[in-house]
Amino acid sequence: MKKCTFTLDEKLYNQLHRHLFPGDHDEHGAIIIAGVSEDENEIRFLGRELVIARDGVEYLPGKYGYRRLSAEFVANQSQRCSVSKLCYFAVHCHSGENSVDFSSIDMESHKRGYPALLDITKGGPVGALVFAKNAVAGEIWTPSQIYKLSHLTIIGSKILKLYPNQQVRSIHKPHEIYDRHIRLFGDAGQDIINNLKVGIIGLGGGGSLINEFITRLGVGQIIAVDDQKIEPTNLPRVVGSTQFDAMTSLFNSKTKLLRKLGKSLSKSKVHIAKRVAKTANKNIDFVSIQGNVLDENVATKLKNCDFLFLATDNHQTRLVFNALVQQYLIPGIQIGVFINKDKETSTVDSILINTRPVMPYLSGGCLECHQLISPIRLQEESLTPDERRKQRYVDFEEVPQPNVITLNAVSAAQAVNDFMMMFTGLFSSNVNMYHIQQEAVKRERFTILSALNTNCLDCSLHPKSRKAKGDRARLPCRWNE
Amino acid sequence: MTPEVKEAVEEVRRFFGEIEVKDVSQGGALVVVKEVFLGDQYAPSKSWIGFVIGFQYPRADVYPHFVTHELKRVDGKSLGSGFSAPVVWDEKQSTQISRRSNRLDPSVDTAATKLAKVLKWINDR
Repeated sequence: MKKCTFTLDEKLYNQLHRHLFPGDHDEHGAIIIAGVSEDENEIRFLGRELVIARDGVEYLPGKYGYRRLSAEFVANQSQRCSVSKLCYFAVHCHSGENSVDFSSIDMESHKRGYPALLDITKGGPVGALVFAKNAVAGEIWTPSQIYKLSHLTIIGSKILKLYPNQQVRSIHKPHEIYDRHIRLFGDAGQDIINNLKVGIIGLGGGGSLINEFITRLGVGQIIAVDDQKIEPTNLPRVVGSTQFDAMTSLFNSKTKLLRKLGKSLSKSKVHIAKRVAKTANKNIDFVSIQGNVLDENVATKLKNCDFLFLATDNHQTRLVFNALVQQYLIPGIQIGVFINKDKETSTVDSILINTRPVMPYLSGGCLECHQLISPIRLQEESLTPDERRKQRYVDFEEVPQPNVITLNAVSAAQAVNDFMMMFTGLFSSNVNMYHIQQEAVKRERFTILSALNTNCLDCSLHPKSRKAKGDRARLPCRWNE
Repeated sequence: MTPEVKEAVEEVRRFFGEIEVKDVSQGGALVVVKEVFLGDQYAPSKSWIGFVIGFQYPRADVYPHFVTHELKRVDGKSLGSGFSAPVVWDEKQSTQISRRSNRLDPSVDTAATKLAKVLKWINDR
């Protein structure tokens, strides 16, 4: 049987928690409208919208139990789910702190109501969640099966998990090589990192450093995506790459045929990344995909990652990365270096080193809200070099950008530190995950305040927005039908 | 064609009448509106107008647009900035019109509204 989990962003969870536990020790109710992401092992529900049931208006004294959602409220919200092809979850609270379960009255009400709700929502799934202060239990109805919720993940500056019983978590004793890590974040922290599945998009200069860092941190599973092969000019920046990988001697040949042979024999960047990862941790589960995240069959391989890193330098992949973060509620970080040179004098005006956390909630650093995905660049990047030349795009730089490993290292280290702090819970409360920019020429560091577009098609609740829709929306990938 | 591109093509057809549509790689569409009015200040005053809607539409801008290569101003002045000719587009000689949308709002703007804005811009020149 597949594992069933739920993911909520921190803002939605905090709003729900305040409603359920206002301090009156009474029972309160709500609805969560959710998307869903399914693979061969797991069904993951993704909280999109919280609809509060007002006490005495939509949350009323019950006929069978203590309280119930009003029939009109259930009808309206289930109809909304049906129209938007999303899933309906009724939520209420019980007293208690660290463990919770449904009462027999709750279970009877599921049996009475959920077959009809499955019909109304055209197969749902539908279900219920019951919360204690630090615990959650759930029951999920699909047309073919009833599932129990395994756990609920809360995505914020601290990534938290809630279980039906918080006290029964078993921790695998981490390997002794992680002794210095454990002294920082404990066995539990290392165990969390060992069990993470992390996607890296782009295994060039920045991505190769991230790969090295997270592998040595102990991440258990990496999915690495890059369609490029290594070239001699990459060697000074790509961690673990060798002259042999790049077929440097053939690349430098005066014979065209040998140069072509060199290009065909050179190793892919994901191949090198896998070798680096296996050197650091021979037990790592490393999936290398020599492909492009613009292809849906590649992008969807990342949909159940716990975290994503983006280390490419084009806007098309930014769009897909931002979509994966918002649509599947996967926190991520984009890194990159941008060097401004005076076009006439070639003087270096500024060196901007960016680390941009992208969290799946409003004002969470969405690249679209920050205007970091240019509609113009998207159009230009979709053209072939020949089409671009014919249409005379002078702004579109096809010449390689300057860069060095140490600049990449600054943004990669910041990104991996943020990642580590989030999962091990080391960040202080209410830390802001703002974008950080370092300017190397003036040796300055800036925090970029959150930008918000309430009509954003990625992170807002605009009807056309992909936020938390999971498999019920399409990623902005190439079309293969 | 992606569902979003297909929807955009239908909207163009609804607002601008007869069109020719070709699938282009990756899920985009090449669209030619058979006849639009460019303005009496031009000869010819009417032309076909063509453009590509890319696979990442509505997030990607729809530009440039292309009209007949014969386009001239009747007052003899040059067409001015924004126009370039001759260029080859879809294997035919054309005049390219480059109007980027720096403030594209993909929740509102569509390929049809962009075309309407481009036509207004041409008309106002």
